[in-house]
Amino acid sequence: MSERLPARQGEAIRRDRRIRFRLERRTIAAFEGDTVGSALAAAGVTITGRSFKYHRPRGLSCMTGSCPNCLMQIDGIPNVRACTEPAREGMRVERQNAWPSADRDIHGWLNTFSFMMPPGFYYKIFQHPHWAWPLVEPYIRSKAGLGRVPQEPDHRRRRRINLHPDVLVIGAGAAGLAATAEAAKAGASVVLLDQGREAGGHLLGEASSTLRSALAREALGSRARFLAETAAFGVFGGGLIGASGPDALYRIRAQHVIFATGAVEGSAVFPGNDLPGVMLSSAVHLLLHRYGVLPGRRAVVLTGDNVGYSTAWALKDAGAEVTVVDLRSDGGWPEGFPVFAGATILSAHGRRRVSAVSVGTVGATSGQKVSCDLVVNACVQTPSTNLLAQAGARLVFDETLQAFLPDEMPDRMWAVGAVAGARSPEASVAQGRLAGLEAAAGSGHPVDAASIAALRSEAARSGDPIVLPPEASAASGKQFACVCMDVTAKELTTAAAEGFDSMELLKRYTTITMGPCQGKACMASSQRLCGAITGRSFAETSPTTSRPPWVPVEMGTLAGARLTPRKETTMHDRHVAAGAEFMWAGDWRRPHHYTTPEAEVAAVRNRVGLIDVSTLGTFRIKGPESVELLERLYPNRFSDLAVGRVRYGVMLNDEGVILDDGAVVRLADDEFFVTVTTGNTAALERWITWWNADWGLDALILNVTGAYGAVNLAGPRARDVMTSLTDADVSGSAMPYMTATRMAVADVPSLVLRIGFVGETGYEIHFPSAYGEHLWDAVMGAGRSHGIVAFGLEAQRILRLEKQHILVGQDTDAESDPYEAGLGWMVKDDKEDFLGLRSLRDLKERGPLERLVGFTAPERWLPPEGASVVREGAWVGRVTSARRSEAVGGVVGLAWVPAEWAADGSTFEIQFGGSHTIGTVRIDPFYDPRGERLRS
Amino acid sequence: MTFLITCPNCGPREALEFSFGGETTRRASPSATDRELAAALYFRRNVNGWQTEWWVHQSGCRAWFLAERHTTTNEIRRTYRPQDRPRDEEQEAAPA
Repeated sequence: MSERLPARQGEAIRRDRRIRFRLERRTIAAFEGDTVGSALAAAGVTITGRSFKYHRPRGLSCMTGSCPNCLMQIDGIPNVRACTEPAREGMRVERQNAWPSADRDIHGWLNTFSFMMPPGFYYKIFQHPHWAWPLVEPYIRSKAGLGRVPQEPDHRRRRRINLHPDVLVIGAGAAGLAATAEAAKAGASVVLLDQGREAGGHLLGEASSTLRSALAREALGSRARFLAETAAFGVFGGGLIGASGPDALYRIRAQHVIFATGAVEGSAVFPGNDLPGVMLSSAVHLLLHRYGVLPGRRAVVLTGDNVGYSTAWALKDAGAEVTVVDLRSDGGWPEGFPVFAGATILSAHGRRRVSAVSVGTVGATSGQKVSCDLVVNACVQTPSTNLLAQAGARLVFDETLQAFLPDEMPDRMWAVGAVAGARSPEASVAQGRLAGLEAAAGSGHPVDAASIAALRSEAARSGDPIVLPPEASAASGKQFACVCMDVTAKELTTAAAEGFDSMELLKRYTTITMGPCQGKACMASSQRLCGAITGRSFAETSPTTSRPPWVPVEMGTLAGARLTPRKETTMHDRHVAAGAEFMWAGDWRRPHHYTTPEAEVAAVRNRVGLIDVSTLGTFRIKGPESVELLERLYPNRFSDLAVGRVRYGVMLNDEGVILDDGAVVRLADDEFFVTVTTGNTAALERWITWWNADWGLDALILNVTGAYGAVNLAGPRARDVMTSLTDADVSGSAMPYMTATRMAVADVPSLVLRIGFVGETGYEIHFPSAYGEHLWDAVMGAGRSHGIVAFGLEAQRILRLEKQHILVGQDTDAESDPYEAGLGWMVKDDKEDFLGLRSLRDLKERGPLERLVGFTAPERWLPPEGASVVREGAWVGRVTSARRSEAVGGVVGLAWVPAEWAADGSTFEIQFGGSHTIGTVRIDPFYDPRGERLRS
Repeated sequence: MTFLITCPNCGPREALEFSFGGETTRRASPSATDRELAAALYFRRNVNGWQTEWWVHQSGCRAWFLAERHTTTNEIRRTYRPQDRPRDEEQEAAPA
């Protein structure tokens, strides 16, 4: 069967372009335009994989990506649908779930022992004795499943694309193309999706390509945007439609949605219905007309209406010998074939491929044997209503078509074509055009009312009643209701007898419709079987709830690009050059240390150091009511803060809990400069702007973090360095502690704050961030003769701890109030109102239960942050910060302790793991307790 | 969480661009009773239906605004700037 049929108009393959790829150890010759599946069929490969549970051989069945039979590992990616995957030069294709090969899989014995695997067998068997299950489970797991998960990271770039057209058309078959053409012609913006490479849907399998070409020209020649190989997989809240395309996830919000999702064929249920060589008519049409492959020489076609005869004709024209099994007994079918009337296929025979079928009347256990190498199911059409159901459409059983069809559609949504019961391309086109016009009209584009009326009559459903094959065959042998999960008709009967007698229960118990096809291939047959077993008609059963994804979506497509925000200050390269070790501070990269934290601490205490503090959150607050805003936001008072002065402030929420702290500078009567903690900046911006929005004060809040860079120059020689950088008077008398001055520093216009987190004479220089490297170089250069060092976060943490300066979020938590944290001196509770005032009154009256206190401890053991403070073996507090301090000698730290222990000199026990130590409370800062160095 | 919200400054945008500020509440006054304070801090109406609530366009203009959203369907029938609040809504009482 390596021969192709003669070339024909409209085929997909380019016979002048040959390609080759590997199927395991074989080389497969193919043409450009082939899919992996069509190339394998042309090469005579009948077994495309082994089944999930019983390792039965399976072959091509649908050619539309709707069934699980040809899932393959392609270039390392598992579960690729080979029947629709384009063949590419050099690709590596492997069949799954088989060893050593799909042709001779040693686990085929599982098929023989299937009686040991009734539905839910893993709940029933091997559970006793208990010790056996852990031994058995890994084996079962290794035998089941599909493909191998690739171990390498996926480096493909995935995009996430948002679209918001007037009209979204899902499915580019006859109905979808017609809808697109009309809506686009009327002026609406249209997006058309199809999972195939080419538009056409069922028309692609037709012998003549005339209608398809005409519709495609009309629709795709318009301004509509066609996304090929893009499948809508789900309808989400607010009408969002998700679609996955080549390396892209589309999120589509359309004003109007036209579902032209077509129908999927299903197989009749009879023993051997899963054998390679048993196909759906869609596969036969596509193989013949698109790929020039004759899928069999002796074919038996099973059908219940005249549509099946077109398949029979197509096969006969291509040179096959065809027998028709017609489920109808009342005649009226076309001439030209030997026909078994009023008959069905009772069973199919063969080991690795179908070799014969038994044909007889419904209910018979044996019949006439007809030898064949191809069996075509042209008898069950299931409208693809899943997306419709997700969108909220109501489905109602249609007796004529023997299918569930959309009845009421939600607003601004239409179902057209085969999904809505159209049985001819003409009806599909009429329905599509009508919906396209109505959608365009709905988006405000003028359309012709007369043509809408004319289309309405054309678009009505019509056709002879369909006769479906029996729910199952009376012949013996495994007949599969669900090929994905290897569920047989008999297993459904067993499960129903055990009480799982509705579709939703059967689904959960037997896993029917839960496989890779998501019920596409098996929903209708499962429903009918369920009905037959429980004494209900098809109409009385209902499909299981439809949930995304309707088509398989790669995890990577959903995950999208992996983004890790990372911020660097404008001095970052200088830190790198100085050999800094970096750490994360929120999204920022900050130097942890350059040399050693201890050396950096010593340099700041004895000489001078420089730290990049650009990551501090900074705000400018301006406006006539900016004082009022700050008065309400902080417990501190700011109305009496003079221009050019700095005040330390702490922000509370209305529970009186500490949110943040920082410096507040009055730049002018109506303007302030506020700093907040690095990691809290975004939250504080939301907090401040929210209250300002609620209070409606005339104040403008501008987050200038990142617009300003900042460095802190600190140490006994900081003033000497500063003097050489600016003409301004930076002496202690001209610029005392807690003041701020605008000046040029190294010719850069700056705002300089005399504050000192680290407890030495300090100048915090804020400047336009673009000057970062210039300023860093200038300060380091000016400080060289004074022995300046750059210091990192760790040194800063030691330095601030020696001063008992707290870090909000480190030393405080969601229950810390200012009284307990030792910041009660800031609270001006005589103010009219501020956030937290009412709560603080209660807290003040009650008095502190716990206190945040400084403590010293012996050098030998450094308690970690979070170590317990204990009393008589019980937890009563915790250590929030602790470091070894050379200046103090020993361990210094901060801890929450019961209020009665907060007196200077009290001792308490600290424990962590097996270690413990004794802490001694120290109320005043460990280093420079009177703050003389800081103020100097 | 995939619905659209119309920012009064920027127009309709994906909900993911916004941060939620919760239903509108009224702060307890400095002279509030314990019960009023507890109600203002910890109790919410948590309605099943239309609710006026705060949103901030975090990944956009970063402005706070008010929205009337149906808490079951996520339909938003109105958004507006806080200065366009009707007087009575501003004075909306917290539940007792």
